[in-house]
Amino acid sequence: MARPLDHEIAREGVGVTLRLRGELRRDVVNELKRVLAAEMPRAGATLTLELSGVTQIDSAGVATLVQAWRAAKSKGGSLALGPMSDAAERALAMFRVGEPPGDAPRPPNVLEAAGASMFAGRDAGWEFLQLCADTTFAVAAVLVKPAKLRWHHFIEQCIDIGSRALGIVGLITFLVGLTVAFQSAYQLQQFGAAIYVANLTGVSMVREMGPLMCAILVAGRSGSSIAAEVATMQVSEEIDGLRVMGLDPIDYLAVPRFLAMTLMVPLLTALADLLGMLGGFLVGIFYLDIAWNAFLNQMISSMVPWDFVSGLVKSVAFGWGIALIGLHYGFRVSGGASEVGRTTTASVVASIFYIIVADCLFSVLFYVVL
Amino acid sequence: MADGPALEVRGVVAAYGDRTILKGVDLTVQKGEVRVILGGSGCGKSTLLKCCIGLKEPAAGTVKLLGDDMTVMGAKERTALLTRIGVTFQYGALLGSLPIGENVALPLREHTDLPNDVIREVVRLKLAAVELNHAEYLLPSELSGGMRKRAALARAMALDPELLFCDEPSAGLDPLTSAELDDLLLRLRDRFGMAIVVVTHELHSIERISDRAIMLSQGLVIADGPLDEVRAMEHPEIKAFFERRAAGEMRGPQSALEAMRSGA
Repeated sequence: MARPLDHEIAREGVGVTLRLRGELRRDVVNELKRVLAAEMPRAGATLTLELSGVTQIDSAGVATLVQAWRAAKSKGGSLALGPMSDAAERALAMFRVGEPPGDAPRPPNVLEAAGASMFAGRDAGWEFLQLCADTTFAVAAVLVKPAKLRWHHFIEQCIDIGSRALGIVGLITFLVGLTVAFQSAYQLQQFGAAIYVANLTGVSMVREMGPLMCAILVAGRSGSSIAAEVATMQVSEEIDGLRVMGLDPIDYLAVPRFLAMTLMVPLLTALADLLGMLGGFLVGIFYLDIAWNAFLNQMISSMVPWDFVSGLVKSVAFGWGIALIGLHYGFRVSGGASEVGRTTTASVVASIFYIIVADCLFSVLFYVVL
Repeated sequence: MADGPALEVRGVVAAYGDRTILKGVDLTVQKGEVRVILGGSGCGKSTLLKCCIGLKEPAAGTVKLLGDDMTVMGAKERTALLTRIGVTFQYGALLGSLPIGENVALPLREHTDLPNDVIREVVRLKLAAVELNHAEYLLPSELSGGMRKRAALARAMALDPELLFCDEPSAGLDPLTSAELDDLLLRLRDRFGMAIVVVTHELHSIERISDRAIMLSQGLVIADGPLDEVRAMEHPEIKAFFERRAAGEMRGPQSALEAMRSGA
């Protein structure tokens, strides 16, 4: 879209005059810049701009001239204005020359960044502890006086976290049970111990895979939605709105979500356990050709009630972590739309990390200590 | 620049679902004039603005921006036309992830091939025009509401538009800043012959900048002309608007006291 620049250069002794004509608009700016750079006055010299033939000049044109003026000044030369047309005068008068506010902010160096992230981490940790404490007290208050609970929020959250996740949690854990059974069947058949597929699938599902898969799915589904919802409320000042109306955001937002997680994650885990075992059961009777009652008998007798209960205990801890981490990241956000996205991602990563670490600790606790 | 009006709206009807918001609105904006759209809340001002800038397609009628009808255009011409108009939204609509300077630079980077240093200089000229030079490297979330509004105006002016739409430019600003903004709009009109369409409630601002005004009520134009003529019209709603009398008192539902006393 470049247009030729209508210009003329006159040299008289040391003085140089640049006559510009026509429309000085953004389509001639590149050309204008080139001409100005070529004629940039040396120290002590002057370049005179004659704008009397200029019929129109837009802000890009003005900006280019201002740039040249700055460049000339910094080199010790000068840029003078000769006669000019009304249009040029109007445009130059219209725009005020803006100075940048000092230097552009410099990105922090490695040490500064490390230090800043340490301090941010300390603050975040402190805030997380505070959130945990506040939520614990608020939940305790609700347990003492159930009428204080916002029941319809709680039920809404239960439906969101629990009922709406039934399908996906059931399907995924069924497939996991199937896979675990196939993998173990291949190994155990070599020893003629195919029947032990029942033990392996049953125990690993209820103690480990059921709670773990279920928690990871809930973290991805509901943990992210808690973080995104609270973060959006935070950036649009809805949380501040709640506060000034005298509603505690912990009571209003945290408690229903926390309690819904406490109730729903174990229930989903129980479903996950059952469907995982069903997966193993189907592999046993159709692939390994074991009689259904023999397989079922083996599976049940291999487990003690504590296997099942320990899985549920774990799942409650997972649910609490998911809720608190989602809330924590949501409350902490500041900025705009892009921050909400980043926060949501960070909260899911943190939740899943927490789940794996906690699962590891629980395994040690249940097998080694108890 | 072709001759003819900067904006020509003919018989525009617009609806959201079953609710008809605009019931046949005409509006002409000449080059070099400031046109103010008046009206109470919910009268269709914002919908009219959306129809003008192509965010909402009218159910009937035509909108001609700078002589061209946007609805019958290809994507390319549409983009080219959009570079010739500027819009400021009520809450700024600045991109939260970009500093103010980059927000203003965005249209320049996307739609022109200007070198980077010239873009920076244009950004500074525009920020100086709205007195926000100190905010160039700040993020929108670090600015006050009024500053965000001014930054939005700087962004709308980035490409030297021939036609500028402003939705509530001075709402929520202090009187001084609001007056400065009004002066800026008038300077843009005088120096560049820019056509400016302003949606506003602020009486001070209306009196200062308005060349011609149009008043909407329930989706219809009830007054159109120079401000003095509009003000002089004998229409209850217009009188109420300019005399700052609550129209609700005249035709709203009865008060609880009246309703209970009437004993119905």
